[in-house]
Amino acid sequence: MASDEEYSEAESDDSLYNYESRNTSVDLICPKNPNLTSDDSEFDIDEVDSSDYDEEDDIDNSLLATPVSPSTKKALSEGSVPNLKYECLTTKEIYEKMLKRINHLQPVFSIPPDDVLVLMQHYDWNEERLLEAWTEKMDELLQQIGLKSAEVNGSSDVRGIKHRNDFMCIICCEEKNTDTFSLECGHEYCLDCYRHYIQDKLHEGNIITCMDCSLVLKNVDIDQIMGHASSTKLMNSSIKSFVQKHHRNYKWCPYADCKHIIHLKDTSSLAEYGRLHYSPFVKCSEGHRFCFSCGFEIHAPADCNITSAWVKKAKKESENLNWVLSHTKECPKCSVSIEKNGGCNHMVCSNCKYQFCWICEGDWAPHGKSFYECTIYKNDDTKSKGAQEDPGKQLKKYTFYYRLFNEHEVSAKLDWKLGQTVGHKVKALQDRMGVSWIEGLFLIESIKTLNEGRTALKWSFAVAFYSDASHNLTKIFLDNQMLLAKAVEDLSELLQIKEPETIMKRKPEFYNKSGYVENRRTALMECGRDLLCKGICKPHDG
Amino acid sequence: MASLPKRIIKETERLISDPVPGITAEPHEDNLRYFNVTVEGPAGSPYENGIFQLELYLPDDYPMEAPKVRFLTKIYHPNIDRLGRICLDVLKTNWSPALQIRTVLLSVQALLASPNPNDPLANDVAEEWIQNEAGAKATAREWTQKYAKKVEN
Ligand SMILES: [Zn+2]
Ligand SMILES: [Zn+2]
Ligand SMILES: [Zn+2]
Ligand SMILES: [Zn+2]
Ligand SMILES: [Zn+2]
Ligand SMILES: [Zn+2]
Repeated sequence: MASDEEYSEAESDDSLYNYESRNTSVDLICPKNPNLTSDDSEFDIDEVDSSDYDEEDDIDNSLLATPVSPSTKKALSEGSVPNLKYECLTTKEIYEKMLKRINHLQPVFSIPPDDVLVLMQHYDWNEERLLEAWTEKMDELLQQIGLKSAEVNGSSDVRGIKHRNDFMCIICCEEKNTDTFSLECGHEYCLDCYRHYIQDKLHEGNIITCMDCSLVLKNVDIDQIMGHASSTKLMNSSIKSFVQKHHRNYKWCPYADCKHIIHLKDTSSLAEYGRLHYSPFVKCSEGHRFCFSCGFEIHAPADCNITSAWVKKAKKESENLNWVLSHTKECPKCSVSIEKNGGCNHMVCSNCKYQFCWICEGDWAPHGKSFYECTIYKNDDTKSKGAQEDPGKQLKKYTFYYRLFNEHEVSAKLDWKLGQTVGHKVKALQDRMGVSWIEGLFLIESIKTLNEGRTALKWSFAVAFYSDASHNLTKIFLDNQMLLAKAVEDLSELLQIKEPETIMKRKPEFYNKSGYVENRRTALMECGRDLLCKGICKPHDG
Repeated sequence: MASLPKRIIKETERLISDPVPGITAEPHEDNLRYFNVTVEGPAGSPYENGIFQLELYLPDDYPMEAPKVRFLTKIYHPNIDRLGRICLDVLKTNWSPALQIRTVLLSVQALLASPNPNDPLANDVAEEWIQNEAGAKATAREWTQKYAKKVEN
C-alpha cells in the first residue's frame, strides 16, 4: 500500500492552485483507492448506490415525501454536510421572530399583544388551533386561559400595584406598610412575596399565574412587579419554551455556552436521511457542527442510532473506563512521565528520545510507514462462536474501542486549542514574511480539515465496535480507518510547526496532507454508511 | 439557625390550636421546620383503622417551594413507593405559596381515600390495582393491619 505517498505527490501540483475547487467537487477529490476496489468488488459504493437511486426514482418516487435526489446525494457525500436549508439565529433574532408572529395575529384578536403572547404560549404556538378555538368561543377561551376573571366583581381597577398601610400578607404572614400587587381576582400579596414567587418561575418558560387562582400574569405585570431587569430573563424563558415546543424545526447548538439556535424550515427530508443512514449535520455561526436529528455533536460515520447506543454504553461503563482518561503516560522505554500537550499521537520522549505511539505505546516507526496497525482490535479468537459472544470478551472489545475513541476525543480538544493559536501563526506570517492574510488562510483551512478528520475518526470507532468483525466489509472499513488515522496524524504533526519560515516553505505539504485527510475521510464515511445500510453494523446491548 | 419566618410560626400555632380531624402534626424540638405527622386511614378505605406516620420538612424556600412529605409507615398504595415517597400534584407542579401544610396533609388523606393507579409511582402496586382491585385492596388491608395498627392506650 505504498501508493498513498505516490498519490499525494501526484496531486500536489494541482492542489497548490486549485484547493478551493477540490473541496467542492466530489469527482475531483474522490478517486477510489485502487487497492480497495480491486480487493473487494463489494466496496464499489458508487455503483451500488447509483443503481439503488435509479430504481427508487422510477418505482418508489411517489412514496417518498422528498426523495434525496442523486444531486443531493452528491452534496451529502461532500463531507457529509447535507443540503438542508437552514438558518442560524441568535436568541434576540428568534425573539423578534416570535414578536413578529404575534404582531401579525394581533389585528385578528384585537386584544393587546401581551395577551396574544399568552394565548400563543398556551396553544404551543400553533396559530391554526388557536384561531379555531378563538372563533368558536372567544370569551370562554379568555377565561379558561386566565386572561379574564370569571368572577363578576372582578374589576380592572383592582389590578396593579398599590401602597397599603398595615397590610397583612397571607403568604409571608407579616403585617407591614408595603406595596402590594393584585390581579382582577383580588388575591393581593406583598411585593416581596410576589417578586420571590416570580423569580423562581422565570426560568421555567411557562405561563405564570396568580398564586391563588388561574388568572395569568402578563409580561407588563411581571415587568411592573420585578422592574426592568427581569425582561431578558423572561425573554429567555419564553424562547426556551418556544424552542422546546418547536423542537422539530428549532434546535439549540449543543456546544457549551453557545446560545445559537438552528432553524430548519422544511423537515420533510429528515426521515429519508435517517433511512439512508446519513445524519443531517448543521453548523451554527460559531462553526459548531452538530446533528439536527439527534442534537448531538457531529458523529459521522456513525448514524444517530449507533451514536445513542455508544453514548449510553459509555455512561453505563464509565466507572470501568476511568483509567482511560489520563493525560500522562510513562515512556515505554525509560519510564519518564510524559504529558500529552498536542493532538498529535506521535510522541518523542524528552529523556531518551524514544519515538512511540501514544495510543498503543508501540514503536512509532511502523506507524509512519504503512498501516496504522494499532487501530485494529486483535480478537484472539477469530473463529468466534457467532452471536453468542462471551460478555467478558465483549467488554474487552468495547474497552479497546472506547479507549481509541477517547484518545481521539482528547486529541480533538487539543487540536482545537492548537487551532486557537493558528491566528497568531497567520499574523506572524504576515509580519515576518509579508504574506497576505488570504495567502495565510491555508493554515486555518488545514486546522479545520484536521478537526473534521479527527472527529470522523473518533466516531468510526463506535462504528467498528458495532460491526460484525467477521464480515469482509468490516475489514475494509478498518483498513480505511487506519488510512485516515495515519493521514490525520501526519497533518497534526505538520501543524505543530511554529517557525513561519518553515511553514511557508512547507506550504505545499499542508495542501497535500489536508487534501489527503479529506479524501480518506470521505472514503471512510462512505464505507461506514455502507456497513450501516447493509446491516453489518447495528446497535446492540453487548 | 436563622429565625423562623412568621408564616411557619403562624401555621404551626394553628395546626396545634385548631387541628385537622384525623391528622396530627408536631414540630420537632430541635428543628422547627421538621414535623412528625400522623394520618388516620380514612373510613371505608383499605387503610381504615390504621395510623400512618409521616415526616414533613419545610425547605428554606418555603412557602415558595412545596413542603417535602414522606411516609415512614410501610403502606401498599399505587401512588406511594417503597421509600414512602408520594406522587401528589400539589407537592410538585401544582404547588402554590397560597397552599399550606394543612391543605397538603388533607390532600394526602384524600389520596388514601381514592388511590389513582393511572398515575402511579409504585408500578407493581398500580398494575395489581388495575388488574385485580379486590386483591390489591386486600393486600393494602393486610399491610395496614401489620404495619399501621393503632396502639391502644
Ligand atoms: Zn408577603
Ligand atoms: Zn387570584
Ligand atoms: Zn454553536
Ligand atoms: Zn444524530
Ligand atoms: Zn523515554
Ligand atoms: Zn499505535
